[in-house]
Amino acid sequence: MSVRCICVVMQLAARGQCVKTAEEANRTEPEVNTAKDSSMALPEFLGKAELLKQGAEARVYRAQFLGKPTIVKERFKKQYRHPVLDEKLTHRRTVQEVRSILRCRRAGISAPVVYFVDYTSHCIFLEEITGSATVRDHITSAQQPDSCPDPQLERLAQRVGQILAKMHDEDVIHGDLTTSNMLLRLSPEDGESDLVLIDFGLSYISALPEDKGVDLYVLEKAFLSTHPNTEALFEKLLKSYAASSKKSSAVIKKLDEVRLRGRKRSMVG
Amino acid sequence: MQLTHVLELYPDHSVTQMLFKEVKNAAELRQKAVEGKIYAALINPTMLVNPLQVLVAANKAVHLQKIGKMKTRSLYSEIIFNLSPTNNISEAFKRFGISDGDDSVMVVLVHNKQESKLLSDITALVDGRQVQVEDVSSLSDPAKIKKLYKVTPQEEKSSTLLDAVVCRMATKDVM
Amino acid sequence: MTVVIGFEGSANKIGIGIIRDGEVLSNPRRTYITPPGQGFLPSDTARHHRAIILTVLKEALEQAGLKPADIDCVAYTKGPGMGAPLVTVALVARTVAQLWGKPLLGVNHCIGHIEMGRLITKANNPTVLYVSGGNTQVIAYSERRYRIFGETIDIAVGNCLDRFARVIKISNDPSPGYNIEQMAKKGSQYVELPYTVKGMDVSFSGILSYIEEAANKMLSSGQCTAEDLCFSLQETVFSMLVEITERAMAHCGSQEVLIVGGVGCNLRLQEMMGVMCKERGAKLFATDERFCIDNGAMIAQAGWEMFRSGQVTELEDSWITQRYRTDEVEVTWRN
Repeated sequence: MSVRCICVVMQLAARGQCVKTAEEANRTEPEVNTAKDSSMALPEFLGKAELLKQGAEARVYRAQFLGKPTIVKERFKKQYRHPVLDEKLTHRRTVQEVRSILRCRRAGISAPVVYFVDYTSHCIFLEEITGSATVRDHITSAQQPDSCPDPQLERLAQRVGQILAKMHDEDVIHGDLTTSNMLLRLSPEDGESDLVLIDFGLSYISALPEDKGVDLYVLEKAFLSTHPNTEALFEKLLKSYAASSKKSSAVIKKLDEVRLRGRKRSMVG
Repeated sequence: MQLTHVLELYPDHSVTQMLFKEVKNAAELRQKAVEGKIYAALINPTMLVNPLQVLVAANKAVHLQKIGKMKTRSLYSEIIFNLSPTNNISEAFKRFGISDGDDSVMVVLVHNKQESKLLSDITALVDGRQVQVEDVSSLSDPAKIKKLYKVTPQEEKSSTLLDAVVCRMATKDVM
Repeated sequence: MTVVIGFEGSANKIGIGIIRDGEVLSNPRRTYITPPGQGFLPSDTARHHRAIILTVLKEALEQAGLKPADIDCVAYTKGPGMGAPLVTVALVARTVAQLWGKPLLGVNHCIGHIEMGRLITKANNPTVLYVSGGNTQVIAYSERRYRIFGETIDIAVGNCLDRFARVIKISNDPSPGYNIEQMAKKGSQYVELPYTVKGMDVSFSGILSYIEEAANKMLSSGQCTAEDLCFSLQETVFSMLVEITERAMAHCGSQEVLIVGGVGCNLRLQEMMGVMCKERGAKLFATDERFCIDNGAMIAQAGWEMFRSGQVTELEDSWITQRYRTDEVEVTWRN
């Protein structure tokens, strides 16, 4: 071994125990590092997985991964976009999604565990939340035809308000709040089911009340268009949000502004 | 006894975990590894919650090796580095690698399917008693793990320690 | 047989068109064009419209070969738009309706675009992208309303393009948007610009303020050409529009897209939307500049639908309004 080689080995040895010379590494490490090899791995894997849905942004698959039921979210290339824009946007959204999930989890909000992220193919491998139903389905099936106040639904609205307040207090903007992106996971004990937020695909970090207000506005529009005659229920949600968040008054003010903005904007042309 | 898992993304690669207790030659093993004579990752099992934690680290290591983007010099050092919640390489080795006085070791190998000789070669080197890999949870030091991974009290209530650990491992590149 | 005459003048275009049972009999139009670097102001625009409106009215009747007696209904743009020009045109519509003894109909400008688009393209139930200097909305019909699924939370895309044109002094003839489109074809370098989509909504004020500030610096430093900026701006804002349209389509389960409004003339936008549609197996519908850009016939067409479903605007209700949401109108002519 040359002197330089020895120095390198000693540096590595100082850092830890898995040191080998280059020759030995080549001999025994079971890798064949060809470009073809690495770029085919994921497409092959996804080819065998079960495609759950193809959204505008991404394809969602179900598969077994590391022995766990896993959801793989693949952000595919959008052909209509300029390739540089597409790559930047896709990468940014993958990173933002992953960051938002961890931030929420750290704050005690249930969100799927991230198992692995492949930044070359923009795939996120996430825990599959099994044994759950969407809040959307829950509300649709529980809704009374005479729109009588339902204490169960009101409790649900209250919980959603609380969880969103917690999320916004962490400065996480979900970006795509709908009742389809909230799951109720039946808990093993006989307690209240676990409210899980999913699909952080358009999420980002922001402290601006404006962004939080828009986040709520997006939910309001989605909520009211999906569940007719639920204005009172949504009001309950907002009240719960306002009571639970430390920064809610500025946010609600912005929500009111955004609601009016659509009506007050001077439209010409 | 040992646990072998075929990586779904790289089906030519299997990850085998072997857990040993009452290990008497930790110092010798560490030295051998430093000299490049052991083709495995030697991990301190008190930092492990569950074998899944190792699989997550190994999968990421193999993936990064394939695309030529490892942060460390070898696959096995990469596995150890991936266990760590931070991006500091020497800290990773210090916390997750074995130390001379350790009396338990988790040995992790990445190999092709038919390599039983490789496994027996390694087993022969360890002066200790091999136990079920699942037993690692009895060796875990949850307080130490929580502290290192900075698991928050709120998170503990809404999630499992394993989930908290795995999530941080998977996302540390962008946090 | 129902013949409707429509009066449109909510922005800088003044148009009068006549429709008879789905046939466009005439559709003359004039555009008030300002010098490069300037936008159009309400009072100047109103003055322009006043000066030319009777000429255009005469053209509309002559080209259609009709007399006032042949008209069944007088439709005009009630809003939204600029106050002074809207008043100018409404005044003439009201006068003419009284002179000719015909019923009056106040039409929502956005709905005019939608109904014209549906007529010309025969799209069945499309997701509509309405993009112009004053509006940016993604609309889908549901239960007697044109519901707004996504929109701009600040300025319209056309407004963004127009104001960018002013910054680098692009000519307003025939329109700033058209000239940006031609220049963009010669651009090649993609310059990274802010991209803002929030849920189903878009925001253009960020990219506008960025480019207003940076454009001249980038040009004088030789970092890129004006053509590159036009190209990059189009690629970015159009991507945002295609994205929110696609999201609305996914939400509604729609397989058709209709682009209306002045910005809808842009062939690059149509091309990008077409690529997205093809990937989804959806169909794209678009009209040409006769009907994309504000015109009288679109008001006549919407008026025709409204009139046939029994609507009429009483004189005391025939005011105009600068703010008029697309979803405020009850679409009585569809199921």
